[in-house]
Amino acid sequence: MLDSLPYELPELVTRAPFDSHRSTVLPEWVDWNGHMNVAFYVLAFDQASGAFMRNIGLGRPYVDGKLGMTFVLETHVTYDREMRQGAPMRFVTQLLERDAKKVHLYHEMFHAAEGYLAATNEVIVMNIDYATRRSAPWPAPVAERLEAVWLAHKGLKRPAKAGRVMGLAKK
Amino acid sequence: MIELDLAAPLDRHRATVLPEWIDWNGHMNVGFYVVAFDKATDTLCEQFGCSWDYTREKIGMTFVLEAHVTYEREVKEGDPLRIASQILDHDARRLHFIHAMYHADEGYLAATNELMLMNIDYATRRAAPWPDFALERIEKLAAAHKALPRPKQAGRLIGIKKK
Repeated sequence: MLDSLPYELPELVTRAPFDSHRSTVLPEWVDWNGHMNVAFYVLAFDQASGAFMRNIGLGRPYVDGKLGMTFVLETHVTYDREMRQGAPMRFVTQLLERDAKKVHLYHEMFHAAEGYLAATNEVIVMNIDYATRRSAPWPAPVAERLEAVWLAHKGLKRPAKAGRVMGLAKK
Repeated sequence: MIELDLAAPLDRHRATVLPEWIDWNGHMNVGFYVVAFDKATDTLCEQFGCSWDYTREKIGMTFVLEAHVTYEREVKEGDPLRIASQILDHDARRLHFIHAMYHADEGYLAATNELMLMNIDYATRRAAPWPDFALERIEKLAAAHKALPRPKQAGRLIGIKKK
């Protein structure tokens, strides 16, 4: 485990849920159906995961400094409403669970102007050692920050859309 | 419509990891796995006439309702991909299936993508039953895929296991 990180960490946001990431649907994200393509929801959510990871101290300097990386192990998306080119997006993130090297996050994507829920994303992100490209425990300052975030998030209600198993409900 | 391919699973889709799919970790970004999988969904939908021509002719569209991806191994720029698709279930307007992405040379499983797809009426942009020509083919494909073992990545619940 890394005991320290050789770069300055941002001021920690512990407000729960984490409501900092904003983005816009880019023209190249739109497909032949005239809306944001399914894959680019995942890309947009990945950037929201990036915002969460930056907050606990794992931003670009973590990778550029060849200290470590974070890999996504698994992701589950519900597509609730269409988003068109130029639509502003607001992301709200809840930490559902954490352990020594993984976090389980739940994101909601809203149309930032109209307010409707566009999609949800549950994701498992794991800390990776840069040299071995294998899983590793969080660096010590990150573990400490993650614990502070967890204390603020653990009392939140579990979202109804979390923990879904896909299937056709039989009538 | 193209000739129906009843080999199970459907194993027609091939792709290559493009430079713009790589992120700062030096491997294909999580979003672009789904780009690659979505193109494999087009290949599957071609089998029953609901791919690009279906939308270009303003007959209908297919929307994804839900997606689950497991990331099993990294793939790098230029890697050849083979994606095989298995139908798990279907009803009058939905199709439940799973893709498996393999490194085409090395053979390892790189990722899986379970999807729920719904047929959409072009004019109303709302759910609608599959057209007869599509349903007939979906039923044949589903029958051909029925004997396949259910992949362990299908029907997964996301979570961190408690020790």
